[in-house]
Amino acid sequence: MTQAPVLKVENLQTRFKSVQRGKFVHAVDDVSIELYPGEIVGLVGESGCGKSTLGRTIVGLEKASSGRVLLDGVDLSALSGAALRDSRRALQYVFQDPYSSLNDRQTVGEAIDEALVIAGTRTLEERDRRTKELLDQVGLASAVRDRHTRELSGGQRQRVAIARSLAVNPRVLICDEPVSALDLSIRAQVMNLFLRLQKDLGVACLFIAHDLALVRQAASRVYVMYLGRIVEHGPSQELYDRPSHPYSQMLLASAPEVDPRIEKHRRGPLMIGEVPSPTNPPSGCRFRTRCPLAVDDCAKAMPPSHGLSPGHSAACIFAADLHRGKRSALLHQEASAA
Amino acid sequence: MRDEALLNVSNLTVNLLTAKSAVRPVDGVSYSVRQGECLAIVGESGSGKTVMNFAPLGLMPTGVTTMLSGSVKLEGRELIGLPEPEIQKLRGKSVGFIFQDPMSALNPVRRIGRQIAEMAELHLNMTPRAAEARALELVKLVGISDPVARLRQYPHELSGGLRQRIVIAIALAGEPKLLIADEPTTALDVTVQAQILRLLKDVQRRLDMAMVLITHDMGVVAGAADNIVVMYAARAAECGPVDKVLVSPRHPYTRGLINAIPRREDPIGSEFRGLPGIPPTLGAPIKGCALAPRCELAVPACSNSRPPLVRSDDSSVLVACPVVNQGKAAA
Repeated sequence: MTQAPVLKVENLQTRFKSVQRGKFVHAVDDVSIELYPGEIVGLVGESGCGKSTLGRTIVGLEKASSGRVLLDGVDLSALSGAALRDSRRALQYVFQDPYSSLNDRQTVGEAIDEALVIAGTRTLEERDRRTKELLDQVGLASAVRDRHTRELSGGQRQRVAIARSLAVNPRVLICDEPVSALDLSIRAQVMNLFLRLQKDLGVACLFIAHDLALVRQAASRVYVMYLGRIVEHGPSQELYDRPSHPYSQMLLASAPEVDPRIEKHRRGPLMIGEVPSPTNPPSGCRFRTRCPLAVDDCAKAMPPSHGLSPGHSAACIFAADLHRGKRSALLHQEASAA
Repeated sequence: MRDEALLNVSNLTVNLLTAKSAVRPVDGVSYSVRQGECLAIVGESGSGKTVMNFAPLGLMPTGVTTMLSGSVKLEGRELIGLPEPEIQKLRGKSVGFIFQDPMSALNPVRRIGRQIAEMAELHLNMTPRAAEARALELVKLVGISDPVARLRQYPHELSGGLRQRIVIAIALAGEPKLLIADEPTTALDVTVQAQILRLLKDVQRRLDMAMVLITHDMGVVAGAADNIVVMYAARAAECGPVDKVLVSPRHPYTRGLINAIPRREDPIGSEFRGLPGIPPTLGAPIKGCALAPRCELAVPACSNSRPPLVRSDDSSVLVACPVVNQGKAAA
């Protein structure tokens, strides 16, 4: 990739005050990610790992405590007022629940028109033309325009929400679990819409999700997040074929199989326990409390990110071994269970 | 597995009347569950899968008039028409419930131990002391570490997975014969989901209970269930053993659902497979096959009359699709 990234996040940290006096929850801790134009990038992890907070911090819904968000090379934290608003427009957010992200009392036309007004589209004719265009882009019939958003199904509502985000010609969409609230038979339609938008409009998309299979198919690259940190990232195919962080390995192996012939014989590793509290994260590697491979060294220092192949790296002291298949968090666990 | 069905539902129809509208979320559905068997009921939201299981047991929102017809027999006893106080005795005793969201299923201001013990006191006539001891046993049974300390905690102090384990312990407290689990893992992470499913399967086998697993996720079915009913728009589209239905689905809807799950071999950036169109909204019963507008196999006859469930050649699978069934007859 010789192009410059459209979105670059550098050492971003977001912390919240804890209920325990004087303590902080480091929801996002020293995260750096990059998004190139027209690319869909996945961000996966368990709930509470900070993936939504990361998305919200990027668009400015949460305040970063340190680090930078660069849009086309411009540091957003250095901007204010009109300049910040202009830049922010290029960065849009699609929320998980299309039932709470739209105003029930508006018609579809009004909902999209509102976004256009805010985007500074002045004339009525221009807004009318854009509304038609946007409805067409998200695959909604123009007849839907006069209906209230409350009359629509979940899939249609999510399309309206996407149309609103597109109204301002964004360069980057942050999609926070955009299809989890939708029924299975509808999900594919909305996913295909994202694929088409990426191809037709060249919008880059950070796709936050917990459905690993969905992310694999849509994203060209994937970041795996655990307790506020990126533990592994790489091209999807490579990461799914050769996960090189014990957490990624166990996360991928947790996904259930639909075919009962495979499922019944699958010696799926059960992830041990749940995510520890981010108020008091474990010392050293944050995954060590659940990791079957953990050794004493893991508690001493945060393992640095090891480059494994172009664009693929993992933050584990055994990453190179795991990548070569010389070691596995899964085999180890099966052996110890036997 | 015993021959006698523990729960026998035949031709169940549920009509709901509110001040504004009348809908039929369940339209003539039949199924049965034997002791020690797990039946998965799979369908999208609005397919009637939850109402079908909750309405006969009186678990419906207030302000809705529920009208039931058909028959629901639990251990040979007809539930439809049974007075509410009698049904109340069954809930929690013969039938245990596990709900989707463990946070709203638990009482936030009472300790875990009390919430479990309460069930044992109520349904097994235990003394408070004996019930507390039973609570401890149950918490151990559902695989919670440090059980004595957990009993003294409040729900907000626990993680999602632990809360769901507590909900399972409460459901088991009355020694139920039938466990109804409504989307028990939907609110949980994929890693915790695997743990909870394994636990449910394990207690179901150990206590030799019957279990109805209501879910929208085909992925959780294979590992847990013996049989499956696929629901679409208030009716059963296909039912049979999991090994048959998931491996070689026959109904176009079941096929579409299974086909819609992304596979490892799908190229990155390739189109997602799915069903076209949207499910019908609940309302008046549909005259023909409800899937016809979205179905690639549909012929004009599909819209004329409701397709009956027809047995496959080896008589294990039932499919409500005239086109699929006719193809079989022709072959």
